[in-house]
Amino acid sequence: MKWRNKLFILARSEWVKELTSFLKDEFFIEFSDIPEKAVEKVLNNPPELLLIEEALSPEMAKNLVLAFKKDLHLTFLPILLIVSQQELNKDWEKLPVDDFVLEKANPEEIKSRLKLALVRVKCSADANPLTGLPGNTSILRTIQEKIDRKEKVAVAYVDIDQFKPFNDRYGFARGDEILRALARILSNVLGLKCREEGFVGHIGGDDFVFICPEDLVEEVCQEIIEEYERILPNFIDPEDLERGYFIARTRQGKIEKIPFPSLSIAVVPLRGGRFKHYGEVSAVASELKKIVKAKKGSNYLIDRRKN
Amino acid sequence: MSELKKQIKKRLKNLQSLPTLPPIVGQLTKLIADERSTAQQVAALIEKDQVLTGKVLKMVNSAFYGFPRRISTVSNAIVLLGFNVVRTLVITASIFETMQAQDLKLWEHSLGTAAAAGLLATKLELKNPEEVTTAGLLHDIGKVVLRTEFPEILKQIEKTVQEKGIYFREAEQEILDFDHGEIGRLLANQWNLPERLVEPIAYHHAVEKARKFKKETAIVHFADIMVRAVGYGSGGDPWVPPLNDKAWKILRLTEEDIFELIPAFDEKLIELRLFTLEMQNEMA
Repeated sequence: MKWRNKLFILARSEWVKELTSFLKDEFFIEFSDIPEKAVEKVLNNPPELLLIEEALSPEMAKNLVLAFKKDLHLTFLPILLIVSQQELNKDWEKLPVDDFVLEKANPEEIKSRLKLALVRVKCSADANPLTGLPGNTSILRTIQEKIDRKEKVAVAYVDIDQFKPFNDRYGFARGDEILRALARILSNVLGLKCREEGFVGHIGGDDFVFICPEDLVEEVCQEIIEEYERILPNFIDPEDLERGYFIARTRQGKIEKIPFPSLSIAVVPLRGGRFKHYGEVSAVASELKKIVKAKKGSNYLIDRRKN
Repeated sequence: MSELKKQIKKRLKNLQSLPTLPPIVGQLTKLIADERSTAQQVAALIEKDQVLTGKVLKMVNSAFYGFPRRISTVSNAIVLLGFNVVRTLVITASIFETMQAQDLKLWEHSLGTAAAAGLLATKLELKNPEEVTTAGLLHDIGKVVLRTEFPEILKQIEKTVQEKGIYFREAEQEILDFDHGEIGRLLANQWNLPERLVEPIAYHHAVEKARKFKKETAIVHFADIMVRAVGYGSGGDPWVPPLNDKAWKILRLTEEDIFELIPAFDEKLIELRLFTLEMQNEMA
């Protein structure tokens, strides 16, 4: 049998069940009519496509779509909604699905729409494969956009100090775990504090960027550091935790105490017409980084200079 | 492995979600709908329910998120999952269609054990008492599974407890050849929970079997006894479980420690009794 994309269907009506047997040549299908089962499946082991029947419960369908679309790992999961002709006229802004299909539509058409949704998703992703966050193209585009529109936002560069010794001690797999956890902390804090106005991107390795309204940036930095420090002990072995630091041998064979990985955040407010090009922003940021990295532990530094 | 155990294992694999108590889900739904409520408030309420706590931890530790077996407290889980995911988990939580007095009793027992475990962990200066509290809350999750997935077997066990006047655990061993600790272990591993939670769940009646988290396991063992002794809630039989020698040696509690612990525990229990009363009233 040929390889099939995974499709999850949350629906109840008879015709969808018939549709399922029509689609099963093309897709590997999981079917459920219980929303809670769908949530568990989708969050724990996401499919490549999701088809939801609105008539099952319109309020639930809306809640699910919003929750899935807001989740970092699921932003690239295409969701298609089955709607009835009568329900077609709606505010799609508030129900951000990728496409819809009409109830009892031609099965061939539905199949094509599903396949097309998969293709579209591949074109739009410059996401970092490790964290699912937008990558460099999106980051640069977003910063330039903010500059051009003269928005009152701050661009913050985040990285992890002592990340290499951590990797040396526990291996890359655990380093990747920390990066994924940090990505989630960043996007959750930004989502909570700035709603739609926040942006998080992953440059690569342990380098991240976030953008938020200038008046919120201090609060956001504090919250990120606080949550990072709270999560960190879960990734450190009990015996190291007990001791409070790592022990490593230098090339000269000397024993060294190495602190646990901490966060450095360098914040550059754009302040109207201060910059013309995104390159200037990162230049200022690397100056700040030197200062903030010289301090012990997790720290942030906001550029307060006028020009 | 016995046929029965294979069957139970298979059932656990396909277990989608355990039901929980309606009033707690009701309260949570209210809390979450309120824009002013904070992640800490939501975490505190989720930590009052072993099923929801299990559900949240299962999710954050699933391979999909990329840090399996790492996270052992609800507050950490909320930071990583985000408010939206937790919200969705709560609004889709399944509840008992009919709730029996026994369900509430087991729930009270778990809450009490969590509180006692937290006090002990603080007293003994463990690095993260919150984790041990969570282990206490989840320690009888195997009994929840028996209750919801294997009601027939549970009836047999309960009957044996009454007829022979033996411990719930002894009755389990007679009928199943293993106990709720083993069911809990299978489930906790299935859910990818960290070992620091799995060991206390698995071995709270057999502390000598714990390998890495002996102290945590001994604490949950003793917390279980403390709650049984004051008669808050019920773990399935009316008796206090026997004190495990090994656990007592690990804990090295002095008489002074105990004198300090008892009033603190009493105070916690008053708090908990108020809370469970509120829950009962909401149900009535």
